[in-house]
Amino acid sequence: MRIDKNLKRGQQIVFTFNGENYLAYEGESVACALFCAGMPHLRNSPHLGSPRGMFCLMGSCQECVVTIQNRKVLACQTPVVNGLQVNSGTERDDND
Amino acid sequence: MISADGNVFDTAVIGAGVMGCSTAFHLAQGGMKVAIIDRGLLCREASGVNAGTLTLHMTRASLVPYAIEAWKMWMSAEQWLGAGVLATHAPGLTLAFTEQECTMLEERAAARREFGAKIDILTAAQAFKKEPGLNSKLLKAACCDIDGFATAYLTGRAFRYGLCRQSVEIFEKSPVVAIDRRNGLFEIVTQNAGKLLARRVVLAGGVWIEPMLAWFGVHIPIKTLVNQLIVTERIRPVMRTVMSIANGLLSLKQFGNGTVLIGGGWQGIGNRENNETEAIPENLIGNLRLARFVIPDLSEARIARIWLGLEAETADAMPIIGDVPGVDRAYVVGSAHSGYTSGPFMGKIIAQHILGLQPSMPLFNPARLL
Amino acid sequence: MITTDHKADVLVLGAGPAGINAAVTAANLGLSVVLIDQNPAAGGQVYRPMPFQFTHTQELSDAEAIGAVQREKLKKSAVFTYFEHTVWNVTRDLRVDAVGPDGPRHWVCRALIVATGTTERVVPFPGWELPGVIGLAAATILLKSQKMLPGKTTLVAGCGPLLTAVAASIVEGGGHVAAVVDAASKQAWARGMPELISRPDLLWQGIKWIAKIKRAGTPILSASAIERIEPSKKNRLSVTVRPVDSQRRLITSARSQTIVVDAVVVGNGLVPSTDITRALRAEHEYVNALGGWIAKNDQLVRSSVDGLYLAGDACGISGAAAALWHGELAGLTVGYDLGKLDVQAYRALVEPVRKEFYKARKFGRAMGRLMAMPPQQVESVSAEAIVCRCEDVTRREIEAAIDEGAREVNQLKAWTRCGMGPCQGRTCGDIVASILALKTGSREAAGYFTGRGPLRPVSLEQITGTYEYSDIPIPKAAPL
Repeated sequence: MRIDKNLKRGQQIVFTFNGENYLAYEGESVACALFCAGMPHLRNSPHLGSPRGMFCLMGSCQECVVTIQNRKVLACQTPVVNGLQVNSGTERDDND
Repeated sequence: MISADGNVFDTAVIGAGVMGCSTAFHLAQGGMKVAIIDRGLLCREASGVNAGTLTLHMTRASLVPYAIEAWKMWMSAEQWLGAGVLATHAPGLTLAFTEQECTMLEERAAARREFGAKIDILTAAQAFKKEPGLNSKLLKAACCDIDGFATAYLTGRAFRYGLCRQSVEIFEKSPVVAIDRRNGLFEIVTQNAGKLLARRVVLAGGVWIEPMLAWFGVHIPIKTLVNQLIVTERIRPVMRTVMSIANGLLSLKQFGNGTVLIGGGWQGIGNRENNETEAIPENLIGNLRLARFVIPDLSEARIARIWLGLEAETADAMPIIGDVPGVDRAYVVGSAHSGYTSGPFMGKIIAQHILGLQPSMPLFNPARLL
Repeated sequence: MITTDHKADVLVLGAGPAGINAAVTAANLGLSVVLIDQNPAAGGQVYRPMPFQFTHTQELSDAEAIGAVQREKLKKSAVFTYFEHTVWNVTRDLRVDAVGPDGPRHWVCRALIVATGTTERVVPFPGWELPGVIGLAAATILLKSQKMLPGKTTLVAGCGPLLTAVAASIVEGGGHVAAVVDAASKQAWARGMPELISRPDLLWQGIKWIAKIKRAGTPILSASAIERIEPSKKNRLSVTVRPVDSQRRLITSARSQTIVVDAVVVGNGLVPSTDITRALRAEHEYVNALGGWIAKNDQLVRSSVDGLYLAGDACGISGAAAALWHGELAGLTVGYDLGKLDVQAYRALVEPVRKEFYKARKFGRAMGRLMAMPPQQVESVSAEAIVCRCEDVTRREIEAAIDEGAREVNQLKAWTRCGMGPCQGRTCGDIVASILALKTGSREAAGYFTGRGPLRPVSLEQITGTYEYSDIPIPKAAPL
């Protein structure tokens, strides 16, 4: 949920996450935009495959890793851009 | 902590890396009452932090037969030791990207074939079939089926289990201060475990063998190499073989859990006196550039951890395994250069020697280095 | 100039209040100064600005005003700033390697000031790792700089001043706080009150926050904590809350209650960032009231490593107001050590700053004590709770390793993989050591994770840049 009182956000844009469209505003991070849109689940943990999402928002915990153009980036440190294609992408252990 | 009733150990092994642990294990299995002593914890130095490469490509040619035996031991550790290190069998490729490297490749393969390694030379096309992710600039490769990797940091836990099963007495965090002779026995003075008495002593201290030999007034220089290692986060499968480059400066493998380990002997800063190591950024970058060049898909991988380990090297880059020159019933085992690969077998043969049996393969006389 | 030479007198890592003031003070003394931060703008955590694309139409809060002044001061100064740069390695001869939007970069300097602040501590419970659960400090970032609520209904839990700040912020933003779950008892707050009097303005603000929360009808559950979170219908979260004792341990016999919410915010205090000081092998000491392990310092600023300086909360929780003074202290001390001030000038300048620092620190320290974790709190971390999030290592597996003989955190790491993942133990390190200390008897005996690069995960592409095979300097080949 956005707090819009007395605030003007950046330009509205559309980006995708795992192929689905999401509306956001320039200045927002990918992690927060998805969180706000009811999509906190960004990836699965490598060993047990459990759902994970943003946690520290400081670029420390590494829980919000997503894939953009084959590169692993932190969603909380990545600003939304119009047309950005984001995918979750955790690599799993073979031997569980 | 002398065996409280003044019991004497048949052998005390000083240094609990893979060589020392394997020696202690095999001595105990042969019926001896064994103590193993380390100033730290089991297998936490080189044996716990190396790249875990179980390869013949980078083993010295004349050590190939030893490495083959050791490879079998790693692969079957659950059986003989009782616990394993996730040793995984994978083919090993050594690669050439320049004409000079091609020449080195052929030479190295030939030298190892002479000692029993089955190494085939592959064209680039054949190499791409085995390893599709390779840089298209590859000229030639050498392939050996007997290759693979272990997870080094599991080694201490595995040997702890095995040694306990053989009733070896383990003295960790017990630095040895001095060794005296008392009534024909060795009296080993430790910092935290009191004095131990033993009929025989084995020096298995890796890079610290030089100061250990000095306890007996024997002087053999041991060079300390400071190796850098890098591991990535888990990534999708981008390689299936264990890779090296003909010039010997890259080791590359991907574990079952998806992490990729990058090594090859790039040096950092450190010394054996204070164990403080530090990576040299330019050498990290060089190592990573090689890795990314060989498997371009690694570009997207993020590095998760960097660490360093100390590796021992003698003047002729061959092991010292045998009797300590001029000292009765004192033995030394170590400095095998790529010692992790052959470690379990080296421990076995020195144990055979100490037990009075004929070692399965010849030892490496320390006296040659005096 | 700076960028081509890769050299500077002073490198400052972290552009929060301490870093900004350290950098500006040093630059004003005539030193060449480079300031590096991974964020797009200066301000750190407490003074984090809104994105530049947002425009505000209401009066700036105190924090926003201070932040704006700090950023303006920085812009006007001679400091060279490198934002959106992630430092991944520091050496003992003070070479700093970073990656940024334009590729890899490095600098060498004569003095390195570490002003990297803190990370958040969360004591694990089953379900803390579920999507929808975020940290307290994380929630302040979400609220203040992204202007978003965690959810329609949120539960706020943990300890310390951030608890009421975040809850009040949510209410102010039009959100609903289902409950505030505070591990501290009312008595604990009362005991801490005298020290808080040193900042009546902040104390008053805290009282107003509590009033706001109460007016909204939000229950404040004192001496309570989250026992577990389970997924509920429609992506909601079912939170079980139970009373805790004076050591903040769950009282299993006491009655629990279950609250269903859309989001959970939880935080149990702040831990000083020691990744760089550990990697450089500075001497550290464990001080629970200051947040845990901190680099030992001389005269508040000099670490045990030549050329390595400390400023701000990275040196022990002292609060944002104190960080501003601490940064100035660091800048002056570096200026003196690098010969820009003689001893009399240094003493004359430093004394009043130090006085202000001690004054400002009182409140911060009091807050720090409220956020400190009692050593026995981790007794409540249940067997199935995930302690190391990166590697999915449970309490059960850690106890198994301890039973097998692990007595030191690095041994635990080797045996369980705890701390080997991408976060390098930043999230779990304090907790793992605390669990181990229940067995070893002290945090000193349990130790801390050996510091190593990379300080943050960076990709091979970012580090290696553009190059040819022939560019790679090949050292001597291996023996045949």
